[in-house]
Amino acid sequence: MSSTESRQSAPAEQPFRTLAQQLEKLPPCQAQCPNSGDIRGWLGIIAQHEKLGLGLQDAYDKAWQRLTELNPLPATLGRICPHPCESLCTRAGKDGAISINAMERFIGDWGISRSLALAKPAPEQHPESVGVIGSGPASLSFAYQMARRGYSVTVYEEHDLPGGMLRHAIPDYRLPRDVLDAEIRRIFELGINLERNFRIGKDISFDELRDRHTLIFLGLGAQAARHLGIPGEDGPGVISGIDYLRQRKRRIASLTGKQVAVVGGGNTAIDAARSARREGAGVTLLYRRSAEEMPAAAHEVEDAISEGVKIRYLVAPTRIIRQGTEIQEVEVQAMRLGEADENGRRRPVPVPGELERLPVDAVIAAVAQAPNWRGIDPLGDARNWLRTEEDGRLDNNIWAGGDDRGPGIASQAIAQGRLAAESAHAELREEPAPPRTPTRKPVESTNVKADYYRAQQRVCSPRRAEHDWLSNPELEIDQTIDDQQALQEAQRCMSCGLCFDCEQCFMYCNVGGFTHIEEAGPGRYLALALDACEGCGKCIEVCPCGYLEARDYTT
Amino acid sequence: MDTAGNLSYLSERAQQARPVQPGTLQDGSRIAVIGAGPAGSMFSYFLLNMADTIALDIDVDIYEPRHFCHRGPAGCNHCGGIVSESLVQRLATEGIMLPEDVVQRGIESYTLHMDVGDVEIATPLNEKRIAAIYRGNGPRNSEPLDTHSFDGYLLDMAQNSGARVIHKLVTDVRRNMDGMQVTSADQHCDTYDLVVVATGVNSRLMETLEQQTQEFRRPERTKTFICEFKLGREVIRNTFGPSMHVFLLDIPRLEFAALIPKGDYVTLCLLGDDIDDELMEKFFESPEVRNCFPGGVIPAHACHCYPRINIRAAKPAYGDRLVMIGDSGTTRLFKDGIGAAYRTAKAAAKTAVFHGIMAEDFKAHYWPLCQKINNDNRVGKMVFAFATLVQKARFARRGVLRMTVNEQRQASVTPRMSGVLWDLFSGSAPYTDVFLRTLHPAYIGSLLWNLLASNMPGHAAEHDLQSESEHRHVEH
Repeated sequence: MSSTESRQSAPAEQPFRTLAQQLEKLPPCQAQCPNSGDIRGWLGIIAQHEKLGLGLQDAYDKAWQRLTELNPLPATLGRICPHPCESLCTRAGKDGAISINAMERFIGDWGISRSLALAKPAPEQHPESVGVIGSGPASLSFAYQMARRGYSVTVYEEHDLPGGMLRHAIPDYRLPRDVLDAEIRRIFELGINLERNFRIGKDISFDELRDRHTLIFLGLGAQAARHLGIPGEDGPGVISGIDYLRQRKRRIASLTGKQVAVVGGGNTAIDAARSARREGAGVTLLYRRSAEEMPAAAHEVEDAISEGVKIRYLVAPTRIIRQGTEIQEVEVQAMRLGEADENGRRRPVPVPGELERLPVDAVIAAVAQAPNWRGIDPLGDARNWLRTEEDGRLDNNIWAGGDDRGPGIASQAIAQGRLAAESAHAELREEPAPPRTPTRKPVESTNVKADYYRAQQRVCSPRRAEHDWLSNPELEIDQTIDDQQALQEAQRCMSCGLCFDCEQCFMYCNVGGFTHIEEAGPGRYLALALDACEGCGKCIEVCPCGYLEARDYTT
Repeated sequence: MDTAGNLSYLSERAQQARPVQPGTLQDGSRIAVIGAGPAGSMFSYFLLNMADTIALDIDVDIYEPRHFCHRGPAGCNHCGGIVSESLVQRLATEGIMLPEDVVQRGIESYTLHMDVGDVEIATPLNEKRIAAIYRGNGPRNSEPLDTHSFDGYLLDMAQNSGARVIHKLVTDVRRNMDGMQVTSADQHCDTYDLVVVATGVNSRLMETLEQQTQEFRRPERTKTFICEFKLGREVIRNTFGPSMHVFLLDIPRLEFAALIPKGDYVTLCLLGDDIDDELMEKFFESPEVRNCFPGGVIPAHACHCYPRINIRAAKPAYGDRLVMIGDSGTTRLFKDGIGAAYRTAKAAAKTAVFHGIMAEDFKAHYWPLCQKINNDNRVGKMVFAFATLVQKARFARRGVLRMTVNEQRQASVTPRMSGVLWDLFSGSAPYTDVFLRTLHPAYIGSLLWNLLASNMPGHAAEHDLQSESEHRHVEH
């Protein structure tokens, strides 16, 4: 609140008062994270470990514990998350956003290397049992949150191993199997049962399954791929992006030496294009809009280009031309950008008469994914995504989350699984529903004083040399930062909206209104005696993180 | 020679012992200056320049968490912001030239407001004008102007002389085996040969230091009030002019009140014994104050604070490898704090470079200056007590007003009262000088005559004086 506003709301007899109060606010990283990750919280434990009386090792352990309260897969997400949390980081305007993704990866790897076990805070066991269909990030998150709340959980997985798209679609060079295995194993170690190779509708009917459990969580994902819908699509040589990635995960080589057109502009298209390069195909990616509209993560696109993927923007395939069954060419239509659609993205419009033929041997169609309700009849038309309430409630005792509610990033799937578990738990225990809207007001970036913080270069994950990427095709490109780099990076966090004990208010308050709290905790270092405040407002202005603010003294 | 023998004995000892810390600055000595107000910056500037004259190579780190480019209290060191002409001249001789964008306004006169009337006291002949400055970068929410903070300017100067600024808050200073250990809020520690405390009295470090060292008594403080009113350049020129408006009002515990025009703003400064709400209310209610503002209405303030000022010096203001300068040590009562910062900073720097950095060095070469200021402040207390008497007695106020008005009207009359008031308000001269001048028989005689003349029944003095005064809004 500016002093002008405070003056207006102030009673006339007290014109010279800007009383202070301490108020934790929502930082932009947390506001941007689909899973509302307490990023500032776990970074703070590391950055302020000395003030908290923790050794660095203990601090990393504690940070891992804090992080895994909401996300049981930090080493995984630290690798694959497009990290929207970094996009509005207050530090971005100074010397670069905090490398939150690299930090999450470090913390995740730390937990694996130290064999840390997920905490199960509820000691009591509830009688209800929970069935989870599918084992992707949404299902794992739901199963984890329910198991740690004391429910008996069974996960039904149609494949041999759990993980869903994380296991079957994310290429090894982005997410090594042992990392995923370690994190999933840890979740099942909470006592969750796993039924492998178990198909609903074949091994058991959906109704039978409902009888078996108190409630069911559907984490079926989006297993089907949308077709291109163009002539010549049916036949050999055309494969969906998701099917191609599944093949590659099984190390099946099918495109070596071939010319491949990948259609699409999302992360699946980029993963497919880069995977095809890895087995020695020449790859051209066809995208109907321009680079600006491309939904794939920008750094992934850059990496694809450096690996030799050619990208053709503003083209759409219109026909696949075959000789016999063999694909000869793909005909593409040049596009231009027209009016913006309802999402604000400009719609591609064909440029009449501008057709071109590209010689290719194969086409990967990575345009979009679709749900597939095989064997689960009550879910209705497979062309429609599941329509749940905001917390994931689909029907009586049926909850859903993940891509079966519409495509999204893994972090969103984890959030949906967690929120469903929180709501389901509240319902089963007849407790009030947990709040859905953010309870804290967002910190205003103008209240964070970037000048106060010492300039310090952003630490990024080291990478393997670029020339080595294709020659060691399955080896991970990004590497993990070391513990000193992690400390340095954590200390760059400006702790927007939460005290980090910079002690300026303590030092400059003329009435000594601030005192050190004996049992300090993260964000809790100094107490403010409200009665003592003279209302000079100095502490509010020197507070670098925007934790202190003006209080309305009429209340 | 004896000395040479002693020295060689010492150097032999030095080689045997572990890290020997000599009691003087050596090449490579490290000095921490805590606080980058005028005292800290001027000390660093003098120290580095003096060291340079004797080819002494030292490192100076200035700790200051704040940035003087910020507006409002966050970038400010909280004071009225008056630099007397004598100090402006003195700084110029030191190579410190206040640039145009630092001086917000040249003050050319004082206007004294009392219930019995007001009078404008022109600058004495030997003084040119007084500089009104902002310690920080202007009031809260002010428009970015092409102004520059006074403290920021001095800090730049210290940096140009080779000091390094560390933007960290010092939370602890303690003596250890290797020297003085300085700890900042981020738990970072560093060791120095000498620590110079220039935090002022608006920081808690002095309290920590007092408890930590048990070697000195920190300064005593009292609460003051400063605020800024935004009126605009045009209005200020018309209503306040290039004049600082001083009030002698019968309000208990109020020692000094002034309105200082600065660019688009007027700074109000209330000094006294623990300025509180009751006192401020009385002040703002008084017609003499209201009438200074356009339409007789006190506008909303743009920025305010309750800074503490030093009313009793630290004792002693030094220790081994430790010295307090500026407000942290001693300052002049109510006035000319920047002048005192200059004098203590220079004396401390001189002691450190040319004598030594142990308690005995500061005692012999630095403390005498502090004592001199302290003694002058004792006289100052008397002078202010006398001013309080005048404030309380209406007949006395009439006498003072009449005498001043007459002096200002007639160039031939020696401006005895005007001179006393000028020096009292501006802090240009030591309180002892002011006091001695009031003992002059001509001053006493003239005052007595004016007391009589202004209080004679049926005397039209008040009416005359009112017409004499140039203030349109004054009502009686």
